Amino acid sequence: MSENRTIRTRGPLLDLAVIAAGFVLVLPVLGLNRATDFMIFCIYVLGFDLLYGYMGRLSFGHMLYLGTGAYAVTLFAEHVSQNPFLALAAGIAAGALIGAILGPVIVRATGACFALINLAFNQIGYFFVLVAFSKYTGGEDGMSAYFSKVGPIDFGKKTVLFGFVLFCLLLTYYLLKKFTSSPYGVLVRSIKENETRVKFLGYDTFRYKWITFILSTSIAAFAGALSMLNYGYATPSFIDPTRNVEVIFAALIGGPGSLSGAVIGGAIYMVISNYLASYIPRWELFLGLALLIVVFRFRTGVWGFINDRMKRRPATYG
Amino acid sequence: MISTIAYGLTIGAILYIISIGLSLTFGTMRIVNFAHGLIYTVGAYLLMTLLPVARENFLIAAVMTIAAVVPLSYLIERFVIRKLYGVSIDYAIIATYAVLLIGVDLIKWIWGASPVPLTDPLGSYVTVFSVTLPLYRLLIIALSLALYAALWLFFKKTMVGKIVVAALEDKDAVRSLGISVDRYFSYVFVLGSCLAALGGLLYAPITSVHPYMGFMILLISFAVVIVGGLGNLRGTFIAAFALGMVMAITGRFWGPAAETMVFAVMAVVLIIKPIEV
Repeated sequence: MSENRTIRTRGPLLDLAVIAAGFVLVLPVLGLNRATDFMIFCIYVLGFDLLYGYMGRLSFGHMLYLGTGAYAVTLFAEHVSQNPFLALAAGIAAGALIGAILGPVIVRATGACFALINLAFNQIGYFFVLVAFSKYTGGEDGMSAYFSKVGPIDFGKKTVLFGFVLFCLLLTYYLLKKFTSSPYGVLVRSIKENETRVKFLGYDTFRYKWITFILSTSIAAFAGALSMLNYGYATPSFIDPTRNVEVIFAALIGGPGSLSGAVIGGAIYMVISNYLASYIPRWELFLGLALLIVVFRFRTGVWGFINDRMKRRPATYG
Repeated sequence: MISTIAYGLTIGAILYIISIGLSLTFGTMRIVNFAHGLIYTVGAYLLMTLLPVARENFLIAAVMTIAAVVPLSYLIERFVIRKLYGVSIDYAIIATYAVLLIGVDLIKWIWGASPVPLTDPLGSYVTVFSVTLPLYRLLIIALSLALYAALWLFFKKTMVGKIVVAALEDKDAVRSLGISVDRYFSYVFVLGSCLAALGGLLYAPITSVHPYMGFMILLISFAVVIVGGLGNLRGTFIAAFALGMVMAITGRFWGPAAETMVFAVMAVVLIIKPIEV
């Protein structure tokens, strides 16, 4: 319970300032393109961790929702309107829609079943993009996305895009902070601990799980849509089920079940995959070993480690 | 039509051989074992390497492969799986997936990343109702039937088998009888891994050998396990052949959709009857 109190009293403003300052500070090192990419991945991890860290459901098919956003925004830009804001809204709506449709089926499952059913749907979605609807999605070649200017806002300018994505990351973080520390969010966390008991208290857990699932898929789709603004090119790798392990690793290394952990984990994963991968030729080996270490020795992740250290210091936090 | 059925039965036989181990570990230890796909791949690669050593004698190479898989799977059990008892099932999934990643990378390191085709070890054909079929495929089907009978005898007649079946039903009850269940789980794991390797080496001459060959077949095997019921040996048998036929029939009309169809079936089964783990 004391952890709850610290969350409430500290408020998210400090976190937001730290995240913003962090990304602006590393900007000269990373470059605009990459920094934007890092932040988008952090949004994706936030969406994933809402499901895994807070509700205790491991999705092994979250690429499906990222890919849904990416392809929805691209198709929208091609066929309906090139207004980037409308396209983004369409991407998020597509994520919410797929969450709403698949949700009732998926959230009834727990544990291994939840992971595998997500994976199955991811595989089906991958097939749709790669083969069945390749006429519309470009199949293996992918398809490009073009967006027009809206007034003075031009996402073709990387600085504008960086600012916008940073705003999106902070907004997502802020809303999730509000969500997870609300009574609703506490209930979601209780479902992770003991769903039977929550049910016994008279709550309709199905509805809570469904809504949380929709929220998670929408955020993932949002991240996918944003990366289209950054890359301008949708390829099947945005929905490839073998890449699921990336977001899982990011959430684990940061520390599941905390928003700060998700952002830290996302950043760490991106650093590893962008920089270390060029020095380590056996990249999958390294990722696998890191995963094993995380699972066996380091289960609370980086953020949990930092938190432990802070708690051990005598009561300066009162 | 006959060739479609024969193809479906061959895939069904391979799926059955692979799924047994998966079903047993899932049913007894409650571990979703992604490393199973690694053992399958290793089986194919070892066969490929050992064939020249065994002077192209398929049978000897196969026996040597399985003998080599025993210590390997024991190591995986000892250093990864055993530590996962009582841990959240999510961590078990992630840890075994990590083993798969590590193993695949090592395979790429040792054998290279490009696919290697193998030749049919028998090279002879039989004609069934005026359709020519490779004898090798028919032998695989026969072998899976023999395996089913052997496993049935093992689980019904031997002490180890009976204990495993009892543990599938109620682990704690068996433990309270003073039987070290975990030790039997190690046997089950090694047995399952040997079968995975057997599946890999049998299927290798039909497709080609490549580092990622284990991924898709593993996912399909999960579908078999789920459709057949966890730790349900007869269910696994029926589900393997049923899904094999689904793949063959779908593949006949629309090749790329074959695997997706299996996942669709699995999704439907999960919707109707979710598993509680």
